[in-house]
Amino acid sequence: MLLDTDSLKPIYVQIAEWLEMEILNGNIASDEKMYSQYQLADMFNVNPATAAKGLNILADEKLLYKKRGLGMFVASHARAAIRSKRIKRNLKQLVLELVAEAKRLDVGKDDLINMLIAAELQETEEGAQ
Amino acid sequence: MNVVDCSGLTKTFGRTTAVNNLSFTLAPNKITGLIGRNGAGKTTLLKMIAGYLLPNAGSIQVFSENPFNNIKVSANMIFVDENMVLPASMNLGEILASAGHFYANWDHKLAVGLFTYFNLHPGQYHSKLSKGMRSAFNAILGLAARCPLTIFDEPTTGMDAAVRKDFYRALLKDFMQYPRTVILSSHLLNEINDILDDLLLIKDGEKRLHVPIDELKEYAVGLQGKEETITKMAEKTEVLHRKKLGKDSVYMAVRNQFAEEELQKARLEGVAILPVATDDLCMYLTARNKGGIDDVFDRN
Repeated sequence: MLLDTDSLKPIYVQIAEWLEMEILNGNIASDEKMYSQYQLADMFNVNPATAAKGLNILADEKLLYKKRGLGMFVASHARAAIRSKRIKRNLKQLVLELVAEAKRLDVGKDDLINMLIAAELQETEEGAQ
Repeated sequence: MNVVDCSGLTKTFGRTTAVNNLSFTLAPNKITGLIGRNGAGKTTLLKMIAGYLLPNAGSIQVFSENPFNNIKVSANMIFVDENMVLPASMNLGEILASAGHFYANWDHKLAVGLFTYFNLHPGQYHSKLSKGMRSAFNAILGLAARCPLTIFDEPTTGMDAAVRKDFYRALLKDFMQYPRTVILSSHLLNEINDILDDLLLIKDGEKRLHVPIDELKEYAVGLQGKEETITKMAEKTEVLHRKKLGKDSVYMAVRNQFAEEELQKARLEGVAILPVATDDLCMYLTARNKGGIDDVFDRN
Protein backbone atom coordinates (compact mmCIF):
# COMPACT_ATOMS: atom_id res chain seq x y z
CA MET A 1 0.00 0.00 0.00
CA LEU A 2 1.39 3.37 -1.01
CA LEU A 3 0.42 6.85 0.01
CA ASP A 4 0.03 9.67 -2.46
CA THR A 5 2.54 12.21 -1.24
CA ASP A 6 1.58 14.58 -4.06
CA SER A 7 -2.00 14.73 -2.90
CA LEU A 8 -3.48 17.78 -1.24
CA LYS A 9 -4.70 15.50 1.52
CA PRO A 10 -2.57 15.13 4.61
CA ILE A 11 -1.10 11.67 5.18
CA TYR A 12 -3.24 11.02 8.26
CA VAL A 13 -6.41 11.75 6.29
CA GLN A 14 -5.27 9.32 3.59
CA ILE A 15 -4.70 6.68 6.26
CA ALA A 16 -8.15 7.34 7.73
CA GLU A 17 -9.72 6.94 4.27
CA TRP A 18 -7.80 3.74 3.67
CA LEU A 19 -9.08 2.37 6.99
CA GLU A 20 -12.62 3.32 5.98
CA MET A 21 -12.17 1.40 2.74
CA GLU A 22 -10.98 -1.63 4.70
CA ILE A 23 -14.17 -1.54 6.73
CA LEU A 24 -16.33 -0.82 3.68
CA ASN A 25 -14.82 -3.76 1.76
CA GLY A 26 -15.49 -6.00 4.71
CA ASN A 27 -11.77 -6.73 5.20
CA ILE A 28 -12.23 -5.86 8.84
CA ALA A 29 -15.66 -6.85 10.14
CA SER A 30 -17.67 -5.45 13.05
CA ASP A 31 -16.14 -6.04 16.46
CA GLU A 32 -12.90 -7.15 14.85
CA LYS A 33 -9.64 -5.61 16.01
CA MET A 34 -8.42 -2.59 14.04
CA TYR A 35 -4.75 -2.19 13.12
CA SER A 36 -2.65 -0.59 15.83
CA GLN A 37 -0.85 2.70 15.28
CA TYR A 38 2.45 0.81 15.12
CA GLN A 39 1.19 -1.70 12.55
CA LEU A 40 -0.01 1.20 10.42
CA ALA A 41 3.23 3.14 10.85
CA ASP A 42 5.15 0.09 9.70
CA MET A 43 2.82 -0.59 6.76
CA PHE A 44 2.82 2.96 5.45
CA ASN A 45 6.33 3.85 6.57
CA VAL A 46 5.13 6.89 8.50
CA ASN A 47 5.65 8.30 11.95
CA PRO A 48 3.48 6.49 14.56
CA ALA A 49 1.99 9.82 15.68
CA THR A 50 0.71 10.38 12.13
CA ALA A 51 -0.80 6.88 12.11
CA ALA A 52 -2.46 7.53 15.47
CA LYS A 53 -3.97 10.72 14.09
CA GLY A 54 -5.53 8.70 11.27
CA LEU A 55 -7.00 6.21 13.73
CA ASN A 56 -8.33 9.03 15.88
CA ILE A 57 -10.38 10.43 13.01
CA LEU A 58 -12.34 7.15 12.96
CA ALA A 59 -12.47 6.98 16.75
CA ASP A 60 -13.81 10.54 16.95
CA GLU A 61 -16.59 9.60 14.55
CA LYS A 62 -17.36 6.63 16.83
CA LEU A 63 -16.55 4.20 14.02
CA LEU A 64 -14.07 2.54 16.37
CA TYR A 65 -14.32 1.80 20.06
CA LYS A 66 -11.61 1.19 22.61
CA LYS A 67 -11.23 -1.93 24.69
CA ARG A 68 -8.97 -1.21 27.59
CA GLY A 69 -5.58 -2.80 27.10
CA LEU A 70 -6.64 -4.52 23.88
CA GLY A 71 -6.77 -1.70 21.36
CA MET A 72 -9.39 -0.36 18.96
CA PHE A 73 -12.27 -2.36 17.51
CA VAL A 74 -14.70 -1.70 14.66
CA ALA A 75 -18.11 -0.48 15.82
CA SER A 76 -21.14 -2.45 14.65
CA HIS A 77 -22.69 0.45 12.75
CA ALA A 78 -19.36 1.55 11.18
CA ARG A 79 -19.93 0.13 7.73
CA ALA A 80 -23.35 1.70 7.26
CA ALA A 81 -22.13 5.02 8.67
CA ILE A 82 -19.16 5.15 6.30
CA ARG A 83 -21.40 4.34 3.37
CA SER A 84 -23.86 7.13 4.04
CA LYS A 85 -21.04 9.57 4.76
CA ARG A 86 -19.37 8.78 1.45
CA ILE A 87 -22.62 9.25 -0.45
CA LYS A 88 -23.18 12.60 1.20
CA ARG A 89 -19.66 13.91 0.72
CA ASN A 90 -17.81 12.21 -2.12
CA LEU A 91 -20.55 11.14 -4.48
CA LYS A 92 -22.43 14.44 -4.32
CA GLN A 93 -19.20 16.35 -4.97
CA LEU A 94 -18.36 14.13 -7.93
CA VAL A 95 -21.80 14.67 -9.41
CA LEU A 96 -21.46 18.44 -9.01
CA GLU A 97 -18.16 18.38 -10.89
CA LEU A 98 -19.67 16.11 -13.53
CA VAL A 99 -22.54 18.52 -14.12
CA ALA A 100 -20.18 21.51 -14.26
CA GLU A 101 -17.95 19.81 -16.84
CA ALA A 102 -20.99 18.83 -18.93
CA LYS A 103 -22.10 22.45 -18.90
CA ARG A 104 -18.67 23.66 -20.03
CA LEU A 105 -18.75 21.13 -22.89
CA ASP A 106 -22.34 22.01 -23.76
CA VAL A 107 -23.59 18.48 -23.17
CA GLY A 108 -27.36 18.44 -22.57
CA LYS A 109 -29.19 16.87 -19.64
CA ASP A 110 -30.54 13.90 -21.61
CA ASP A 111 -27.17 13.14 -23.19
CA LEU A 112 -25.56 13.22 -19.76
CA ILE A 113 -28.14 10.83 -18.34
CA ASN A 114 -27.64 8.49 -21.30
CA MET A 115 -23.90 8.53 -20.67
CA LEU A 116 -24.54 7.65 -17.04
CA ILE A 117 -26.76 4.72 -17.99
CA ALA A 118 -24.17 3.47 -20.50
CA ALA A 119 -21.41 3.74 -17.89
CA GLU A 120 -23.52 1.86 -15.37
CA LEU A 121 -24.17 -0.94 -17.92
CA GLN A 122 -20.49 -1.23 -18.73
CA GLU A 123 -19.63 -1.45 -15.05
CA THR A 124 -22.14 -4.28 -14.40
CA GLU A 125 -20.88 -6.20 -17.45
CA GLU A 126 -17.29 -5.90 -16.31
CA GLY A 127 -18.34 -6.98 -12.86
CA ALA A 128 -20.08 -10.08 -14.29
CA GLN A 129 -17.07 -11.19 -16.29
CA MET B 1 10.44 17.85 30.55
CA ASN B 2 11.92 19.11 27.28
CA VAL B 3 15.05 17.46 25.95
CA VAL B 4 16.29 20.60 24.22
CA ASP B 5 15.40 24.12 25.33
CA CYS B 6 16.93 27.09 23.48
CA SER B 7 16.19 30.71 24.06
CA GLY B 8 17.67 33.67 22.21
CA LEU B 9 20.45 31.44 20.98
CA THR B 10 23.03 33.33 18.90
CA LYS B 11 26.36 32.29 17.42
CA THR B 12 28.63 34.46 15.33
CA PHE B 13 31.84 33.67 13.51
CA GLY B 14 33.67 36.95 12.93
CA ARG B 15 31.19 39.11 11.07
CA THR B 16 28.90 36.28 10.07
CA THR B 17 25.91 35.46 12.23
CA ALA B 18 25.31 31.75 11.82
CA VAL B 19 22.52 31.38 14.36
CA ASN B 20 20.44 34.40 15.22
CA ASN B 21 18.21 34.72 18.30
CA LEU B 22 16.78 31.23 17.99
CA SER B 23 14.23 30.02 20.54
CA PHE B 24 12.52 26.63 20.50
CA THR B 25 12.01 23.50 22.56
CA LEU B 26 12.05 19.83 21.61
CA ALA B 27 9.82 17.42 23.52
CA PRO B 28 11.13 13.92 24.27
CA ASN B 29 10.67 10.91 21.97
CA LYS B 30 9.91 12.76 18.78
CA ILE B 31 11.65 12.88 15.43
CA THR B 32 12.27 16.47 14.40
CA GLY B 33 13.45 17.39 10.92
CA LEU B 34 15.81 20.36 10.76
CA ILE B 35 15.55 21.91 7.33
CA GLY B 36 17.29 24.91 5.84
CA ARG B 37 19.28 26.07 2.86
CA ASN B 38 23.04 25.72 2.59
CA GLY B 39 24.56 28.05 5.15
CA ALA B 40 21.30 28.51 7.07
CA GLY B 41 22.99 27.55 10.33
CA LYS B 42 21.82 23.94 10.70
CA THR B 43 25.18 22.43 11.59
CA THR B 44 26.12 25.30 13.92
CA LEU B 45 22.85 24.85 15.79
CA LEU B 46 23.32 21.08 16.06
CA LYS B 47 26.88 21.51 17.31
CA MET B 48 25.69 23.85 20.05
CA ILE B 49 23.06 21.29 21.08
CA ALA B 50 25.73 18.60 21.10
CA GLY B 51 27.94 20.80 23.29
CA TYR B 52 30.69 21.15 20.69
CA LEU B 53 30.30 24.92 20.39
CA LEU B 54 29.55 27.68 22.87
CA PRO B 55 26.89 30.23 21.92
CA ASN B 56 27.74 33.96 21.97
CA ALA B 57 24.43 34.87 23.49
CA GLY B 58 21.26 33.25 24.73
CA SER B 59 20.89 30.02 26.62
CA ILE B 60 20.71 26.37 25.71
CA GLN B 61 19.68 23.49 27.92
CA VAL B 62 19.92 19.82 26.98
CA PHE B 63 18.46 17.38 29.52
CA SER B 64 18.07 20.54 31.66
CA GLU B 65 21.83 21.17 31.70
CA ASN B 66 24.30 23.29 29.78
CA PRO B 67 25.61 20.84 27.17
CA PHE B 68 29.11 22.37 26.85
CA ASN B 69 31.74 20.16 28.51
CA ASN B 70 28.94 18.17 30.10
CA ILE B 71 29.40 14.47 30.87
CA LYS B 72 25.67 13.78 31.23
CA VAL B 73 24.94 15.19 27.78
CA SER B 74 27.93 13.45 26.19
CA ALA B 75 26.94 10.10 27.66
CA ASN B 76 23.33 10.38 26.45
CA MET B 77 23.89 11.90 23.04
CA ILE B 78 25.39 10.83 19.73
CA PHE B 79 26.21 13.25 16.93
CA VAL B 80 26.42 11.62 13.52
CA ASP B 81 27.82 13.55 10.57
CA GLU B 82 30.25 13.12 7.70
CA ASN B 83 33.27 14.04 9.77
CA MET B 84 32.89 11.57 12.62
CA VAL B 85 36.33 10.98 14.05
CA LEU B 86 37.05 7.32 14.69
CA PRO B 87 40.39 5.74 15.59
CA ALA B 88 42.39 5.27 12.39
CA SER B 89 44.24 2.22 13.70
CA MET B 90 41.08 0.18 14.29
CA ASN B 91 39.15 -1.61 11.56
CA LEU B 92 35.37 -1.47 11.35
CA GLY B 93 34.89 -4.75 13.21
CA GLU B 94 37.01 -3.51 16.12
CA ILE B 95 35.18 -0.18 16.22
CA LEU B 96 31.83 -1.96 16.44
CA ALA B 97 33.13 -4.30 19.13
CA SER B 98 34.31 -1.41 21.32
CA ALA B 99 31.30 0.88 20.79
CA GLY B 100 29.44 -0.86 23.61
CA HIS B 101 31.97 0.55 26.11
CA PHE B 102 30.89 4.08 25.25
CA TYR B 103 27.14 3.75 24.80
CA ALA B 104 25.10 2.20 27.60
CA ASN B 105 22.18 1.21 25.35
CA TRP B 106 24.37 -0.13 22.51
CA ASP B 107 22.62 -2.95 20.63
CA HIS B 108 25.32 -5.10 19.11
CA LYS B 109 22.92 -7.43 17.36
CA LEU B 110 21.27 -4.54 15.52
CA ALA B 111 24.68 -3.08 14.62
CA VAL B 112 25.92 -6.36 13.16
CA GLY B 113 22.64 -6.95 11.35
CA LEU B 114 22.76 -3.56 9.64
CA PHE B 115 26.50 -3.90 9.04
CA THR B 116 25.98 -7.13 7.09
CA TYR B 117 22.89 -5.84 5.31
CA PHE B 118 24.74 -2.77 4.02
CA ASN B 119 27.54 -4.99 2.75
CA LEU B 120 30.32 -3.67 4.97
CA HIS B 121 33.25 -5.89 5.99
CA PRO B 122 34.89 -6.04 9.44
CA GLY B 123 38.41 -5.84 7.97
CA GLN B 124 37.82 -2.48 6.25
CA TYR B 125 39.11 0.83 7.58
CA HIS B 126 36.90 3.87 8.07
CA SER B 127 39.19 6.23 6.18
CA LYS B 128 39.29 3.90 3.17
CA LEU B 129 35.52 3.67 2.73
CA SER B 130 33.72 5.36 -0.12
CA LYS B 131 31.65 8.41 0.81
CA GLY B 132 28.35 6.52 0.75
CA MET B 133 29.71 3.51 2.65
CA ARG B 134 31.20 5.77 5.32
CA SER B 135 27.86 7.51 5.74
CA ALA B 136 26.19 4.10 6.06
CA PHE B 137 28.66 3.02 8.75
CA ASN B 138 28.21 6.27 10.68
CA ALA B 139 24.44 5.86 10.46
CA ILE B 140 24.73 2.34 11.90
CA LEU B 141 26.66 3.74 14.88
CA GLY B 142 23.96 6.38 15.32
CA LEU B 143 21.13 3.83 15.28
CA ALA B 144 22.70 1.07 17.36
CA ALA B 145 23.90 3.49 20.06
CA ARG B 146 20.22 4.12 20.93
CA CYS B 147 21.10 7.38 22.66
CA PRO B 148 18.20 9.29 24.28
CA LEU B 149 19.28 12.21 22.08
CA THR B 150 20.33 11.13 18.60
CA ILE B 151 21.49 13.81 16.17
CA PHE B 152 21.94 13.07 12.48
CA ASP B 153 23.48 15.94 10.55
CA GLU B 154 22.83 15.16 6.89
CA PRO B 155 23.37 11.47 7.45
CA THR B 156 22.69 10.38 3.89
CA THR B 157 25.45 12.32 2.10
CA GLY B 158 26.78 10.11 -0.67
CA MET B 159 24.36 7.24 -0.04
CA ASP B 160 22.54 5.93 -3.09
CA ALA B 161 18.75 6.10 -3.23
CA ALA B 162 18.21 2.52 -2.05
CA VAL B 163 20.49 2.86 0.97
CA ARG B 164 18.88 6.18 1.93
CA LYS B 165 15.46 4.60 1.84
CA ASP B 166 16.62 1.61 3.88
CA PHE B 167 18.28 3.86 6.43
CA TYR B 168 15.16 5.96 7.01
CA ARG B 169 13.03 2.84 7.34
CA ALA B 170 15.53 1.32 9.79
CA LEU B 171 15.41 4.55 11.78
CA LEU B 172 11.60 4.49 11.90
CA LYS B 173 11.41 0.82 12.89
CA ASP B 174 13.99 1.12 15.63
CA PHE B 175 12.44 4.38 16.85
CA MET B 176 9.07 2.63 17.27
CA GLN B 177 10.63 -0.08 19.41
CA TYR B 178 12.91 2.24 21.34
CA PRO B 179 11.47 5.76 21.28
CA ARG B 180 14.05 8.51 21.69
CA THR B 181 14.57 12.11 20.68
CA VAL B 182 15.92 12.33 17.16
CA ILE B 183 17.02 15.42 15.26
CA LEU B 184 17.51 14.85 11.56
CA SER B 185 18.88 17.52 9.28
CA SER B 186 18.53 17.18 5.56
CA HIS B 187 18.11 19.05 2.30
CA LEU B 188 15.67 16.50 1.00
CA LEU B 189 12.51 17.00 2.99
CA ASN B 190 10.42 14.81 0.67
CA GLU B 191 12.45 11.81 1.73
CA ILE B 192 12.08 12.25 5.47
CA ASN B 193 8.70 13.96 5.49
CA ASP B 194 6.62 10.91 6.38
CA ILE B 195 8.68 9.71 9.32
CA LEU B 196 8.84 13.08 11.10
CA ASP B 197 6.79 14.31 14.03
CA ASP B 198 7.84 17.94 13.75
CA LEU B 199 9.60 20.23 11.34
CA LEU B 200 11.95 23.05 12.28
CA LEU B 201 12.69 25.29 9.33
CA ILE B 202 15.45 27.87 9.63
CA LYS B 203 16.51 30.67 7.33
CA ASP B 204 19.61 32.82 7.81
CA GLY B 205 20.02 31.45 11.32
CA GLU B 206 16.49 32.41 12.30
CA LYS B 207 13.46 30.26 12.93
CA ARG B 208 11.03 30.40 10.01
CA LEU B 209 8.61 27.66 11.06
CA HIS B 210 8.33 25.05 13.81
CA VAL B 211 5.20 22.94 13.30
CA PRO B 212 3.93 19.37 13.51
CA ILE B 213 4.60 17.92 10.07
CA ASP B 214 0.89 17.21 9.46
CA GLU B 215 0.19 20.94 9.50
CA LEU B 216 2.76 21.62 6.83
CA LYS B 217 0.70 19.81 4.21
CA GLU B 218 -2.22 22.14 4.86
CA TYR B 219 -0.06 25.24 5.23
CA ALA B 220 -0.06 26.24 1.57
CA VAL B 221 -2.02 25.67 -1.60
CA GLY B 222 -1.19 26.21 -5.26
CA LEU B 223 -3.62 28.19 -7.41
CA GLN B 224 -3.44 28.23 -11.17
CA GLY B 225 -5.69 30.07 -13.56
CA LYS B 226 -6.61 33.53 -14.89
CA GLU B 227 -4.37 36.21 -13.40
CA GLU B 228 -7.34 38.40 -12.47
CA THR B 229 -9.12 35.66 -10.51
CA ILE B 230 -6.01 34.40 -8.76
CA THR B 231 -4.81 37.87 -7.78
CA LYS B 232 -8.19 38.53 -6.23
CA MET B 233 -8.10 35.27 -4.30
CA ALA B 234 -4.57 35.98 -3.10
CA GLU B 235 -5.49 39.38 -1.67
CA LYS B 236 -6.74 37.90 1.58
CA THR B 237 -3.73 35.72 2.16
CA GLU B 238 0.07 35.64 1.93
CA VAL B 239 1.71 34.93 -1.43
CA LEU B 240 4.74 32.67 -1.07
CA HIS B 241 5.60 32.20 -4.70
CA ARG B 242 4.35 33.40 -8.07
CA LYS B 243 5.02 32.39 -11.62
CA LYS B 244 3.55 33.76 -14.80
CA LEU B 245 2.31 31.20 -17.28
CA GLY B 246 1.34 32.09 -20.81
CA LYS B 247 -0.46 35.32 -21.58
CA ASP B 248 -2.89 35.94 -18.77
CA SER B 249 -2.53 32.94 -16.57
CA VAL B 250 -0.54 32.66 -13.40
CA TYR B 251 0.50 30.16 -10.74
CA MET B 252 0.69 31.21 -7.12
CA ALA B 253 1.57 29.31 -4.00
CA VAL B 254 -0.26 30.99 -1.14
CA ARG B 255 -0.93 30.31 2.52
CA ASN B 256 -4.03 28.17 2.75
CA GLN B 257 -6.48 30.33 4.65
CA PHE B 258 -9.43 29.34 2.50
CA ALA B 259 -12.48 27.45 3.65
CA GLU B 260 -13.23 24.23 1.78
CA GLU B 261 -16.28 25.90 0.16
CA GLU B 262 -14.18 28.76 -1.21
CA LEU B 263 -11.80 26.33 -2.89
CA GLN B 264 -14.73 24.35 -4.23
CA LYS B 265 -16.23 27.51 -5.70
CA ALA B 266 -12.92 28.51 -7.25
CA ARG B 267 -12.59 25.06 -8.77
CA LEU B 268 -15.93 25.44 -10.47
CA GLU B 269 -14.78 28.82 -11.81
CA GLY B 270 -11.91 27.04 -13.53
CA VAL B 271 -9.10 27.61 -11.02
CA ALA B 272 -6.83 24.61 -10.63
CA ILE B 273 -6.23 23.88 -6.95
CA LEU B 274 -2.91 22.11 -6.61
CA PRO B 275 -1.01 20.70 -3.68
CA VAL B 276 2.32 22.34 -2.89
CA ALA B 277 4.98 19.69 -2.35
CA THR B 278 6.55 20.11 1.07
CA ASP B 279 9.98 20.41 -0.55
CA ASP B 280 8.79 23.28 -2.74
CA LEU B 281 7.06 24.92 0.19
CA CYS B 282 10.26 24.92 2.22
CA MET B 283 12.08 26.37 -0.75
CA TYR B 284 9.52 29.18 -1.08
CA LEU B 285 9.60 29.88 2.66
CA THR B 286 13.37 30.23 2.65
CA ALA B 287 13.65 32.09 -0.65
CA ARG B 288 14.79 35.71 -0.74
CA ASN B 289 12.44 36.77 -3.51
CA LYS B 290 9.08 35.56 -4.69
CA GLY B 291 10.05 34.60 -8.24
CA GLY B 292 13.10 32.51 -7.36
CA ILE B 293 15.90 32.10 -9.89
CA ASP B 294 13.72 33.55 -12.66
CA ASP B 295 14.04 37.00 -11.04
CA VAL B 296 17.76 37.00 -11.87
CA PHE B 297 17.02 36.57 -15.56
CA ASP B 298 13.95 38.80 -15.71
CA ARG B 299 15.71 41.87 -14.30
CA ASN B 300 16.53 43.37 -17.66
